[in-house]
Amino acid sequence: MDVSLTRNFCIIAHVDHGKTTLSDRLLEFTNTVSQRVLTEQHLDSMDLEKERGITIKMHPVSMTYPAKDGKVYKLNLMDTPGHVDFSYEVSRSLAACEGALLLIDAAQGVEAQTVANAHLAFGQKLKVIPVINKIDLPSANLELCTKQLEDILTIPGEEAILASGKSGIGIEDILEAVIARVPPPRDWQYPQTRILVFDSFYDSYRGVIIHARVFSGAIKAGDGMLLMGNGIKSEVKEVGIFTPKMEPCPMLEAGDVGYLVSNIKSTEDVKIGDTITLSQKPAKDMLEGYKEVHPMVYCGLYPLETQDYEKLKYAIARLRLNDSAFVYQQESSVALGFGFRCGFLGLLHMEVMQERIRREYDVEIISTYPSVVYKVKVHGGTEFDVDNPVNLPDPSSIEMISEPTIKASIHIPNEFLGDMLSLVMEKRGTCDHTDTLDATRVMLTCTLPLNEILVDFNDRLKSITRGYGSMDYELGEYRPSDLVKMDIMVNGDPVDAFSSIVHRTKAEGQGRQLCEKLADIIPPQMFKIAVQAAIGGKIIARDNVREMRKDVTAKCYGGDISRKRKLLDKQKEGKKKMKLIGKVSIPPDAFIKVLKND
Amino acid sequence: MSDFAIAQDKAMGTVSTGLYIHVPFCARSCDYCAFYQSAPDADAIRRYFEALRQEAGLIAWPAQIETVFWGGGTPGLLSPKDLLKLGALVREFSGGRPREWSVEMTPLSVTEARIEALKEAGVTRISLGVQSFQPRLLDALGRQHTPEQAFKAAERLHAAGFDNVNYDLMFALPGQDDEDWMRDLDQAIALAPAHISTYCLTFEEDTKLWLKLSQGKIRRDVEAEARLYTATWERLAAAGYGQYEISNFARPGRACLHNLNTWRMQDWIGLGPSAASQQAGWRGTNIADLDKWCAEVAAGRRAGEDRQELSPGLLAEDALIFGLRMNEGVDLAPLRARAPGADWAAVDAMAGELREGGLADVTGSWIRLTPRGRLLADSVGERLLGLLSS
Ligand SMILES: Nc1nc2c(ncn2[C@@H]2O[C@H](COP(=O)(O)OP(=O)(O)OP(=O)(O)O)[C@@H](O)[C@H]2O)c(=O)[nH]1
Ligand SMILES: C[S@@+](CC[C@H](N)C(=O)[O-])C[C@H]1O[C@@H](n2cnc3c(N)ncnc32)[C@H](O)[C@@H]1O
Ligand code: SF4
Ligand SMILES: [Mg+2]
Repeated sequence: MDVSLTRNFCIIAHVDHGKTTLSDRLLEFTNTVSQRVLTEQHLDSMDLEKERGITIKMHPVSMTYPAKDGKVYKLNLMDTPGHVDFSYEVSRSLAACEGALLLIDAAQGVEAQTVANAHLAFGQKLKVIPVINKIDLPSANLELCTKQLEDILTIPGEEAILASGKSGIGIEDILEAVIARVPPPRDWQYPQTRILVFDSFYDSYRGVIIHARVFSGAIKAGDGMLLMGNGIKSEVKEVGIFTPKMEPCPMLEAGDVGYLVSNIKSTEDVKIGDTITLSQKPAKDMLEGYKEVHPMVYCGLYPLETQDYEKLKYAIARLRLNDSAFVYQQESSVALGFGFRCGFLGLLHMEVMQERIRREYDVEIISTYPSVVYKVKVHGGTEFDVDNPVNLPDPSSIEMISEPTIKASIHIPNEFLGDMLSLVMEKRGTCDHTDTLDATRVMLTCTLPLNEILVDFNDRLKSITRGYGSMDYELGEYRPSDLVKMDIMVNGDPVDAFSSIVHRTKAEGQGRQLCEKLADIIPPQMFKIAVQAAIGGKIIARDNVREMRKDVTAKCYGGDISRKRKLLDKQKEGKKKMKLIGKVSIPPDAFIKVLKND
Repeated sequence: MSDFAIAQDKAMGTVSTGLYIHVPFCARSCDYCAFYQSAPDADAIRRYFEALRQEAGLIAWPAQIETVFWGGGTPGLLSPKDLLKLGALVREFSGGRPREWSVEMTPLSVTEARIEALKEAGVTRISLGVQSFQPRLLDALGRQHTPEQAFKAAERLHAAGFDNVNYDLMFALPGQDDEDWMRDLDQAIALAPAHISTYCLTFEEDTKLWLKLSQGKIRRDVEAEARLYTATWERLAAAGYGQYEISNFARPGRACLHNLNTWRMQDWIGLGPSAASQQAGWRGTNIADLDKWCAEVAAGRRAGEDRQELSPGLLAEDALIFGLRMNEGVDLAPLRARAPGADWAAVDAMAGELREGGLADVTGSWIRLTPRGRLLADSVGERLLGLLSS
């Protein structure tokens, strides 16, 4: 067994600092993917990733690299997402690696997720290789980046490699540094086979495909395997590596990253972070697993057409198979009928999942206003969770409501400190301390209610700091708060799906904003329609939907009544893409749109 | 009884029947037009007449045809001899003299010889495709005539004693502002025809203008369309033209009886390619292709496209949808009697909603759209679709 020629590393960075683009160059340089088939941001294989230009899932890939020392190395790379919603993907890949390339956009410098992800890597005792990327940009500021590395991350500036994923600068330096600086696979001497499950997905033909990092021993087709966490046994059908397509190989050995196919058909049986061992010669202790991730935001998802309920149910169940951070259960709404309450890691996660349901499963859905999970204590009773405003008990029976908070670290240039503090205050937050990062930047550590940052906090942060600010956060504790349920009425009828829980002092402002946006999003109607916000029956804001000005066609096609009927029918079909609530047609993406700050 | 409530009083029991003949020939296609037509040649015209006669032979003719309409295409493009031939065909099957006999003409086709022939045939009404009086806009529409030729045509018709003349005008055209349109409208009013039709431009699929629209070369402005509609209605009312349908205005007693007959869901026989028929409880359309239509009728078949049996519910629903486009509105009582089993509660609820929303007036059993309702007639129709027919 020789692991000295293997290196496992991931690429981590703040969003958009160029991880996936740099991965392209590595794949190209090592001839892993031929020029001919290499696409831009090749590892972003989901349509949605390509379209939005962001990475959502981590992507492993194995490469061979003949190094300058004359030896041929096996390099296992994992590209990770930069967006805070998907930071659990970063944690998972870190656990399967010994080193990490930490990218810093030369024009942006160190940002919040740079720091957060660097700390995750340090925490896992990974060797971090700093790479100052995008140095081709005219606005690149190498001096500042180097200084930030030292001041903020305490990484010696001379360790930094200068690179550009776009222009292909520094690629060989990076590969050489990986070999020189990242240690060979650890823990390979453990006497039995131990394999970390770092991801899984479901394939309709082959069942569960386990993404695995072999720490010690080996595994091959025909072996009996045991999942140590739940004791489930199965037979290995196939093992292989990612190139990045799945490519079968005879055996996975210590240090390897690849996949396993077994008899297991349900992803519920395969817990991410579990340890696989051989059932013949089982290991005694498991590898260190992962913290479970919990959804932070909930919303109801309903089929636009009632008869699509089963289709939606199938879609949700299937997506859940590949995404353990996504949870759901059945619920019903007066306005929308039967559907599901779903939990997500954040708004981007929520948006991405909704989009996938629409596209990959072809179900038109409508979503309710998102909510965080509140803890509600009723007089003389117990405390319970409320993730749907509709379930908030009558105010008179409530003793106390608590809401989740987050601990945010916000990086901004000094000059925006004043405006930033006002934003934090406006969002009912407190600034716990400020740290100087370097001569030009500060880091604020703030506590904020989660529900306040959901909607437009990040956009506001970006606009205040002209794009130079960034934020990372983790869940904090619950704290009591003066919260009320705000109802939205369309044409006088309350629409439960639009209810939200808001802080009393902000109800009016948010109500006005919501009414205004909804009135704008709802297409012009035949009749005068009011959108109102109310608390406990008292109207606090209102707006009017635009009235349709003209919808008539001049010609009647002589006697061709059939043709006219067909045209009207087409028009009617068009409206079916919307949800008829009372007599108002509401577009299914109304709420996603309401949440967008544009 | 109003001037044009002619068919309505016969509504139950006896139904009046119109005859539409589609003449599928135009010298050149206009850039907005989706009506079925092609450039004529002697052979096509010969085969057309032959097939017309065959098609006429397939029909169970009623004792009397009340109204005749030759549309197109450009019926006026036929030679005087052919016009006479077509006239003879009509008279052979129409029973007595039709109450009204209209022919569509383009300004260029209005020659003295043709006028003579039409008079001789028994034609009573001419619909002239003026579209605009401005060279620039005629150009933008791909029309071939000049404003002067339109004036000339109007003059010839007047001189020949045709007093029941309509002008077709179009508005919301690319490059036309509110003032341009008002000038066209005033020009038409000054010529004092008996009838004026004002058509808001529809971008029909696969026409040249539609292509330009989809390429972003021209734009649609729904606000402007709404504004022009309203301004048109006001101006024509002030000039003594009563609106009786979304796009149609007439001096007292001059509404087009043939069209009223259609919109009131009476019967009509359609001859020629693409012509639609509704007769004896059935509805269907001829194939929009000269050769295929010739082959169909030669084989003894007609009105085969979208062929449908008319249930009382469907007929009542269409009477409602199309009737509401007319200013007179619809009397629900006879419709209710026609289709007692249909879901009238839904219609009543809808009528209530329209009334509350200011889109309709309801008086006794009559419902009619308000001007704002008429601007939304398609939305109203869309809501009514399926209420009685399913
Ligand atoms: N000028 C320049 N632009 C780059 C370079 N690398 C990436 N970009 C651009 O930066 C943007 C983000 O690139 P990605 O590779 O998708 O970034 P990422 O870090 O993978 O993004 P996430 O996965 O969403 O966090 C794209 O528009 C790239 O074209 C570079 O070296 N130079
Ligand atoms: C069937 S066409 C025939 C008239 C005759 N061929 C002519 O063009 O003079 C009847 C009228 O419909 C109108 N029309 C045709 N296509 C139209 C469109 N796309 N939008 C609005 N009006 C249209 C024109 O005013 C035209 O005169
Ligand atoms: S508008 Fe009249 S002339 Fe022009 S193509 Fe249509 S039918 Fe022919
Ligand atoms: Mg990426």
